Amino acid sequence: MGKGKGFPEEEYMMSGHLACSGCGATIGMRYALKALGKDTVIVLPASCWSIIAGAFPYSSLKVPVYHVAFETAASSATGVKAGLEMIGDSTTTVLAWAGDGGTFDIGLQALSGAAERNEDFIYVCYDNEAYMNTGVQRSSATPFRTWTTTTPTHQTKEEAKKNIMEIMAAHQIPYAATASVAYPEDFFNKVRRAKGIVGFKFIHILSTCPPGWRLPTHLSVRAARLAVLSRIFPLYEIEYGERYTINLKPEFHSVREYLTLQGRFSHLADSEIEVIQQNVEKAWERLVKKAC
Amino acid sequence: MKQKITFKRLQDIPPVAISMGMMLWNKTGTWRYLRPKYTVKTPPCNEACPAGNDIEGFMALVTEGKLQEAWELIKEENPFPGVCGRVCFHPCESSCNRREYDEALSIQAVERLIADSHFKMKRQKHPPKLQRKERIAVIGSGPAGLTCSYHLARMGYGVTVFESYSSPGGILRIGIPEYRLSKSVLDHEISEIQSWGVEIKTNAHIGKDVAFEDLKKYRAIFIATGAHRSRSLNIEGERLEGVVAGLEFLRRIHMGEKVTPGERVVVIGGGNVAVDVARSAWRLGAKKIQMVCLESKDRMPAFPEDIAETEAEGILVLPSAMPLRITPDLGKVKKLEFIRAKLGEPKPDGSLNPIPIPGTEFSLEADSVITAIGEVPDLSFLPEDVSIKKGFIEADEMGFVHPEGYFGGGDAIHPYHTVAGAIGSGKRAALAIHEYLQGGWSREKFRIIQVGQKGTISVKKYFHPPEGETNPPVVLFKDIKTDYFEHQPRVGISKLSIDERVNSFREIHSGLGQEEAKEEANRCFNCGVCNGCDNCWIYCPDLAVKRKNDRYEIDYDYCKGCGICFEECPRSAILLEEEGR
Amino acid sequence: MKTVIEGSHAVSYGVMLSRVQVIAAYPITPQTHIVERLSELCASGELPARFLKVESEHSAMASCIGASAVGARAFTASSSQGIALMHELLHWASGARLPIVMANVNRALAAPWNIWCDQIDSLSQRDTGWLQFYCESSQEALDTVLQSFKISERVLLPSMVVLDAFYLSHTYEPVDIPDRERVDKFLPPYEPKFKIDPKDPKSFSSMTAPDIFTEMRYQMQQSMEQAKSVILEVDEEYQRLFGRGYRMIEAYRCEDAEVVLVTTGTVTSTSREVIDHYREEGKAIGLLKIRTFRPFPSEDVRKKLKGISKIAVIDRNISFGVGGIFAEELRSALCNEDERPMVFSFIAGLGGRDITQETIANVIEYTLEQDQPKEDILWPDLKR
Repeated sequence: MGKGKGFPEEEYMMSGHLACSGCGATIGMRYALKALGKDTVIVLPASCWSIIAGAFPYSSLKVPVYHVAFETAASSATGVKAGLEMIGDSTTTVLAWAGDGGTFDIGLQALSGAAERNEDFIYVCYDNEAYMNTGVQRSSATPFRTWTTTTPTHQTKEEAKKNIMEIMAAHQIPYAATASVAYPEDFFNKVRRAKGIVGFKFIHILSTCPPGWRLPTHLSVRAARLAVLSRIFPLYEIEYGERYTINLKPEFHSVREYLTLQGRFSHLADSEIEVIQQNVEKAWERLVKKAC
Repeated sequence: MKQKITFKRLQDIPPVAISMGMMLWNKTGTWRYLRPKYTVKTPPCNEACPAGNDIEGFMALVTEGKLQEAWELIKEENPFPGVCGRVCFHPCESSCNRREYDEALSIQAVERLIADSHFKMKRQKHPPKLQRKERIAVIGSGPAGLTCSYHLARMGYGVTVFESYSSPGGILRIGIPEYRLSKSVLDHEISEIQSWGVEIKTNAHIGKDVAFEDLKKYRAIFIATGAHRSRSLNIEGERLEGVVAGLEFLRRIHMGEKVTPGERVVVIGGGNVAVDVARSAWRLGAKKIQMVCLESKDRMPAFPEDIAETEAEGILVLPSAMPLRITPDLGKVKKLEFIRAKLGEPKPDGSLNPIPIPGTEFSLEADSVITAIGEVPDLSFLPEDVSIKKGFIEADEMGFVHPEGYFGGGDAIHPYHTVAGAIGSGKRAALAIHEYLQGGWSREKFRIIQVGQKGTISVKKYFHPPEGETNPPVVLFKDIKTDYFEHQPRVGISKLSIDERVNSFREIHSGLGQEEAKEEANRCFNCGVCNGCDNCWIYCPDLAVKRKNDRYEIDYDYCKGCGICFEECPRSAILLEEEGR
Repeated sequence: MKTVIEGSHAVSYGVMLSRVQVIAAYPITPQTHIVERLSELCASGELPARFLKVESEHSAMASCIGASAVGARAFTASSSQGIALMHELLHWASGARLPIVMANVNRALAAPWNIWCDQIDSLSQRDTGWLQFYCESSQEALDTVLQSFKISERVLLPSMVVLDAFYLSHTYEPVDIPDRERVDKFLPPYEPKFKIDPKDPKSFSSMTAPDIFTEMRYQMQQSMEQAKSVILEVDEEYQRLFGRGYRMIEAYRCEDAEVVLVTTGTVTSTSREVIDHYREEGKAIGLLKIRTFRPFPSEDVRKKLKGISKIAVIDRNISFGVGGIFAEELRSALCNEDERPMVFSFIAGLGGRDITQETIANVIEYTLEQDQPKEDILWPDLKR
C-alpha cells in the first residue's frame, strides 16, 4: 500500500545533518541518491548543502562528496568525470549538486560551458529562490516581487525569475527537467532517466526553504506542491531543446493560496497577485504550446 | 560511526581535510520544540454507525483483500453485516468525509460483500473461552434481542431467547420485505448467533406461552420486543373489510400466506413500513398504488432512496394529505376521502399536527387500504413494577431498567425505527448486563467506550481499552489532505430493472464483486487512522521516521519537530504536541 | 631526441612525456602554442589524454582540481588575465593538496592591455601555496615540467612552471626530448594517497573549524619546506638519468665577486654574456640565477651570498608600494644575517621591454659606483 515501497530501501543520507528544520533540499538529495545508488560522486559548490553535508571531519552522506568553489559546480564536475574516465572508471555517476546562486548567477558560465560541450554528468540545481546560505539575498532565481534581504519590502524584486530551463534548452542538451521536492517519485524517475543518458543532463528542482520563504516549517512540502499545482513551477521535461513533455497538467488553482502561505509574499497587494496570476497563465500557455 | 572525533596530536590530523566519520553523533532532536506523535482519531463513519462497526477498519482490510479478517472485525461489534449491508439507512455514508470531495464511499455495499463472501464458507461452532454460570433471558429475537444475546454468549453467558413468532428475527423477519433482505441471509446470520450457544425458543410468547414469573430464575432479563402494534387512524371506516395494518400485511406475506391486495391499493403513511407495504403490494399484482401521507415530500420519514425506488416502481406518492374517512360498498372498502393539509407545530405529546386546507378535499378509490402510520410497543405482558414512560420502557443510555435485573433495548425503549439503532442498543445492554452481573457499573466506563459524540459504543474498546485517549476527536473533511487523492466516483451498484422486479420479491440490488469492493475501499480516506501510506516516511527531511512492522515510529534522537509528517499525513493521524522539557 | 622547437612546444612535449591524463585549458596569448600543440598530440593519440576545452581559465583550474582529486594527472597552462582569473582556485588547489602542474607564460596584467613579458602575473600568485619554477631555456622548461610532476606528487602541492612570454615561449632553441622509456622510469604513474573513491566514500574540504585549521596550514608549510629537499633530490636523480640538473639557484662566476647580479627567467641568459664580458675585463662580477621562487631558497641564497657586499637584483615586475618582488624576498631572506650584501633593486623590462646587455651593464655600473642605492626602487630603463 505504501508508496515508499517503490523506492529502493538503501539510504545514502544520514540523520544528524545540519539542515534547518523542514528543509526541502534534504528531501531532494535523499531521492537523488536513492535513484543513483552508491556508485556516485557528488560535486558540491558553496550553497546550503555545503553546510548540511557536515563539518570536517564528518559527513552526512554515504557517497564521496567533493566540496568545490561557488561558481565551479559544472567545471569541477567536468574535471571529475574526465578524471574518472582516464583512470578507467566509466560507470561512476558524477552529480553536480548546486543551488540557484551557483547555477543561475555565478555558476552560469561554467554551466553553459559544460552544457555546450555536452559533458557527461548530471547537474541538479536545487532552487530555493535566493542566496539562502548567506542570509536570503536575492538571486536571479528569485521570483517577481519577492521579498529578500536585498530586495526589501519597499523595493521588492522587479525582474522576473530567470528561465534557466529555456537557457538549457537553447544548449540543446539531451535532457532537461523540472522537479519539486513535493513530488519525490517524479524526481526519482527523472534522475534515474538522466542516469541512463550519456551527455549533459540538467534537473531543476524547486526546494522549499522555510526560513527564507518565511514559511512555517510544517508547510514546507505543501508549498512545494502548491507551486506545481498553481502552475507557477510546472513539471516538465525537454529533450534536445525541442521535445517538451509536460508531466502534470493540474486543473486551475489560483496562485493566491501559494502566495499567501509565505511571509516572503506577505506585502503583495491584490493587484500584484492578479499580475502574478496573469504572468503564470501566460507562461503556462507558452509551455503548453511548446508541448504540442 | 556515532562517536565524536577529537584530534589530540598534530599527527592525528590528516593533511587533506577528509572526513573520518558520520554526523550521526549529532542528535538534532535537541533542536525540537514541537513533537510529532502518531495518534488514532475517530473516523466520522465509525461515530455515525449506531451499530458501532469499525468501518474504517474493515475498509482497510478490504483494500488488502482480507475479507475474512474484515468479517471478523465487523463481528466483534455487529452480528448482522449481511442484514445491515442490505437494509441499513447508512448514516455512515451521510457522514463520510469523502462526500465533500467527490462522493461518499459505498460503505453499505462493501459491508454486504464482506458478509456475502463469508456465506460461502463453512460455519464453525465457537466455544467461548469462559463458560459463566449466569443465564440471561432475552425477550424478543429482533435485531436488539439477538445482538444482545450474541455479545452475552461471546462473553460466556448462557442466553435463552423467547420469540413469540414461529421463526426468529423480529422485524427483520416479518417487517422487511424479501426484495430488500433475502431471508436466507437472515437465516444464515441468526444461525451464526446460535452457533455461539444462544438458545432460541420460538412460539414462546411471554404472557401467553410462557409466564413472566418463569423468567425470574434468570439472573437478568433483557426486554426487546420491538414496536409491533400499529397505530390506529381513528377515522370512520377503519374497521371495514379490506383495511389492514401495514405490519400485519407484511407479516402475512412473510409467513407464507397468500395475500391478494387487489388492483387498486391506497397506502396511508409516509415511513419505511408504508413504503415497504406499497412496494410489496406492487409485487403482488396491484396495478394502481397510491401512497398518501401527512408529511410533505421532504419530511417523509422513509429513507429518501426508498422513496425514489417507490416512485420508480410506479407508485404514486401523495404527500401533505390527511385521511378523513373510508366509505364502503357492500361492506368492503370502496373509496377514501382526503383533504390537503399543512403540518403545524407538533402537538405537546410529539405527534404530528396537521392543519387541513379548506376546499382541497379529494377522494381515491381502492380495493384495499393499508395503514402504516407508525408502530408502538405492546408492553402489556410486562409486570407492573417495570417502569414505563410515554408508552416505552424507561431505560437509561446503557439499557438499565427499573427494577434491578431488568434491561431494555430496541424499539421497546425508544423509537429508533432502524436496525442499526436496535443493534447498538442491544450491544449496550449486553455490556450493562455484564457489568451488573460482575458487580460494578460506572458512568466512566460508559464514557470510555464511546466512539465519537453520537452515543455509539464499541465492545472492542470495552475489552481492550486503547492506550492514550479513549475517545479521540472526530476527523473533519478539512483535516484531510485532499491533494493525495484523485477524484473518483463511487462504484456503481446494479439494480434489477423495473420489468425484472414486477411480480418478484428477488433482491433488487446485486452486491459488489470482490475487485469492485477493493477498488471502492481504496477510495476510503482512512480518516484519522494510519494505513501505512508512507507519506511521513517519504517526506521526513531528517530520516527520523522509521518503518516498524507495516507502520512507523519516530526516532526522537533526530526529529527536529518540523511537522512535515503532521502536515502531509493525508488522514490526520499524526499530532504535533509541545515538546516538554 | 634532439630537435629545434619553440619554448611553448617544449612544455607541450614535457606534458606528453609526463603521461598527463586530463588537460583543461583556455587560450590566451602567449600560452596558446602550448595548448595547440597539446591538442594535436591528443588528437593524434600520441597523448591519450582528455583535453577539456573549457570556457574560461577559472573553469580550467576547476576541472583540473576535479580530475586531480580523482587521481588523474592533470595539467593546464595560462598567463596574465587567465592566471589572475584562476587566483581563487590556485588557493583551492594547494589547500586541497592536489599535485596539479601549470605552465604560466609570464605576461603583463591589464590595464592597459599588454601581451608581452612581465613577471607580475605569476608573482601575484606567490601566496597561493604553489611551487614556482622560473625557467631560463626551453630545455629547462621541458625538464622542469617532468620534474614538477614528481615533486608535486611527493609533497602534495601544485607546481607552476614559468616561462617568459615570447622571449622563451615563441623562440626556437635546440631541445633534447628525452625518450619515453627513461621518463617512465623517472616518473611512475600517479598513485594518490587521498582520492575520491566511490568504494571508500569520503567528504573532502568540508567546513574546518578554527581548532583544526592552523594545523592543516602548518602541515602545508611543512610540505613547502620539505619541497626544498625534494626538489634537490629529484633534480639530482634527473641529472643522473638525463644529464641535466638545475638545482634551486645557480651561482655563475660568483667567486670573490664585488657585485652579484640576481636574475630570473631569460634575462639570465643575456646576463651570462654580460658577466663573461666583465670577467674578461677583469671585473669581479658574478650572477646568481634564482630558479625556484617557491619555496624561496633562503638558506641556499644566504650561503651563496655570504661575503658578497652588493647584489643587483633585476625584477621584471613591481609590487606597487614596495618594489621589485625578488628583491623584497631576498631582503627578507638576508635581513637577520650579520653579514649581508647591500641590496640594489632594479625594475626593468616591464611589459615586454627588452632587457638589453646595455641595460644590464648600466645596472652593474650603478651598483659598482654607489655604496648604497640612492632609492629603494631603481628604474634603469625608464625614459626620462
